[in-house]
Amino acid sequence: MTDLVVHFESIALWAVAVGTGVALALMLAVIVERIALAANDARLRRIERHYGPLIARALDGDQGATRQLASSPSRDRFNVARLLITPLIVDRDPERIATTRAIVRAMSLAPVADGLLRSHWWWRRALGLRAIGLLQMMDRTGAVVAALEDSNADVRNAALDALADMQDPAALPAIVAHLHNASLRRGPRAAAIAAFGSRCEALLLDLSYVDAGHRLNYARALAICGTGRSRPALCEWTADPRVEVRAAAFEALGHIGLDPSSASLAIGALDSGDVAVRAMAAGALHDWTGDGHAARHLGQHLDDAWTVAVRAARSLQSMREPGLAELQVRAARQDLAGALARQMLWEAELHR
Amino acid sequence: MSPAVVATAFTVMVIAYFVVWNLSQFLMAGAAALQLWRYQRRRTPRNRALVANLASPPLVSIVVPAHNEGLTIVESVRALLALDYEAREIVIVNDGSSDDTLSRLQHTFQLVSAPVAFEQPLKTAAVRGVFRSVAEPALIVIDKESAGCKADACNAGINVASGGLVLIIDADTMLEPDALSRAVLPFLEDATTVAVGGYVAIANGSHIEGGRVADVRMPRSWWARFQILEYMRSSLLFRVACAAHNGLTIISGAFGLFRRDAVIEVGGYDHTAIGEDMDLTLRLQYAFRSRRLPIRIGFVPIPVCWTQGPEDRRSLCAQRCRWRRGLLQVLWRHRRAIANPRMGIVGMVVLPYTIVFEGLGPLLEVSGYAITTAAALIGVVNWSHFRVTMAVSLLFGAATTLIAVILSDVGTGRYLRTRDLGILLAAAILENVGYRQLNAWWGCVGTAQAIAGKRGWGPMTRRAF
Repeated sequence: MTDLVVHFESIALWAVAVGTGVALALMLAVIVERIALAANDARLRRIERHYGPLIARALDGDQGATRQLASSPSRDRFNVARLLITPLIVDRDPERIATTRAIVRAMSLAPVADGLLRSHWWWRRALGLRAIGLLQMMDRTGAVVAALEDSNADVRNAALDALADMQDPAALPAIVAHLHNASLRRGPRAAAIAAFGSRCEALLLDLSYVDAGHRLNYARALAICGTGRSRPALCEWTADPRVEVRAAAFEALGHIGLDPSSASLAIGALDSGDVAVRAMAAGALHDWTGDGHAARHLGQHLDDAWTVAVRAARSLQSMREPGLAELQVRAARQDLAGALARQMLWEAELHR
Repeated sequence: MSPAVVATAFTVMVIAYFVVWNLSQFLMAGAAALQLWRYQRRRTPRNRALVANLASPPLVSIVVPAHNEGLTIVESVRALLALDYEAREIVIVNDGSSDDTLSRLQHTFQLVSAPVAFEQPLKTAAVRGVFRSVAEPALIVIDKESAGCKADACNAGINVASGGLVLIIDADTMLEPDALSRAVLPFLEDATTVAVGGYVAIANGSHIEGGRVADVRMPRSWWARFQILEYMRSSLLFRVACAAHNGLTIISGAFGLFRRDAVIEVGGYDHTAIGEDMDLTLRLQYAFRSRRLPIRIGFVPIPVCWTQGPEDRRSLCAQRCRWRRGLLQVLWRHRRAIANPRMGIVGMVVLPYTIVFEGLGPLLEVSGYAITTAAALIGVVNWSHFRVTMAVSLLFGAATTLIAVILSDVGTGRYLRTRDLGILLAAAILENVGYRQLNAWWGCVGTAQAIAGKRGWGPMTRRAF
């Protein structure tokens, strides 16, 4: 302990010296970082000021402006490409995409994108994929599909985003085949299916017949892109032994819309022993006006589990006359079913 | 053993504590920097466009508990209505306000008494009425009796919410326009995501327009300036680092997006919890981890919302004492999670860290200052020991704060003007001389209050935006 007192001065001085050094170094780092950020900001603003009008003219078809962009210094090319491509995230007008693609090719940026795809760094590969997708460079579809097998999950997801943006029918089998790839995020998977819409349907149905194990995924995908053509398959799946498949099938039928036979299946499923199936069946009857018995059956489920009751009430509200009459019958009740009925009637009145 | 030796040994221990604490901050800074870097590369504009590309993005119910918020409520609701996320409903819970909160809402948004059916899986004080807006169909206002706590109001809002996701915010929280689209993304990407928090920044001094922060500026009050640094440190170091390793133990009450079914499953907010936000987050972690179910709690490391920090000493003291009581209560309640291997990183790292550096920190700090000063005064140790202790504390404290400033600058892309940055750097040094000690003292007061069983919020002064 006496040693501690003896050594205290040296320990303390060491601690102060280290603290001072670290604090001063960080203070300097803040200043350097700030200067670097300001310089970068100024550079980007200058590029935007200089090339913004040129880009606008080039997009309007001015060949002179395109030539000027093509002869821009190579140090500015990357940021010019960013200015050209970023608006395509929101603006998916085919004409604008084609014009932008032509400008990018004139600027010899396509080989740059190829170089990015070969990069060692995942974020550069992802950047290249996003650019290729937004520009719909169909001649690169093969490379983008190959990137679905990349070792990095972010690159694989960027590839999926790119394929959704490209909307190249040649990529459709790859997208559908990766429907069950859990390493791809579920949001981008859904967005990719939505981007292709009903063009996915035939392929999904074909695969679903040979791959019954993944029916749940197919039903969810058909809920996004299905049409009346999927109805027979979905009706068949409403008898699947797996509860989640039955529920997903009814959910998909709800999105597609019912016909008399699928409506009768939905009405029958309101008596299912499983809450999820009853809820999805009740939801599927939204907007159904074909069968007068549907309203009566749905009315009985205002007392059901909350998830079923809410969907049943919404479906009744959407059925107009028969549904509203059924709600009216229950509106006087003082329980939750009565409150639900009054709410639906009130909303219907408000929207009228 | 002579008193000089004991005093010197104690001083060395205090210095060692400071150094270890600051080293842990540097480690966290490393993890946070890596996480911010990854976030910037992943959350590209294309990635953020995902919500717009979905056929049906998830419905989010924004629950806003409001108790005597007449000064700010209308502007808050207007800002919420202007969010860039379409699939949302706004549930305002007037929690027994004695001011004109409800009448201002009724008048501005043409509220009418409307039948709204909802289950009550979470028990709350009686609901007096439910109103809906004729002008804004997405707006629902619940008028309920006060139970004297925010938790009850939040639970009432969660009961009424029809979205699968519920966003809980404070009435004086100002959301960034893209806050919801950013916070929803982790739910869309990973089915195991149960909750997402975000960086809450201090709005004092900034230029506010239409319930939005239009221009970030430094406040005049030094109290607020020091709080800006505190929020930067806690959000950008501790929370980002914890989230990077899926070990988040707190989602701020000012901004928390939750899966509604998960919140209901754990019983919602606890009425008796003082730190209800940390309590809920830990209950979610425990409920999933103890059953070995996968859980992810995410964090958006850029400012998603802005809040007002207290600018007077009394309100700040009351807030810090309440936070302290809340922390101690939550740690005590969740003691079974501490060092529990089933809790993973939360039980084995984050909670022990919280106990050592946040639970015991203020007590050690105050006793360190007191004993070193007393020893110097009575001549047991010389004054150089005292000065060295203070210097180490100041230098390492300032260094940690400077790291947070750099992360904030680079990571969030919100650059303060040069003059404001100068003030911030000055505050990074000055907060270590007085403010930090005062905070440690308030921590001790809060501890004493917790032992005495004190409850309640204490005085809080509300200001208009």
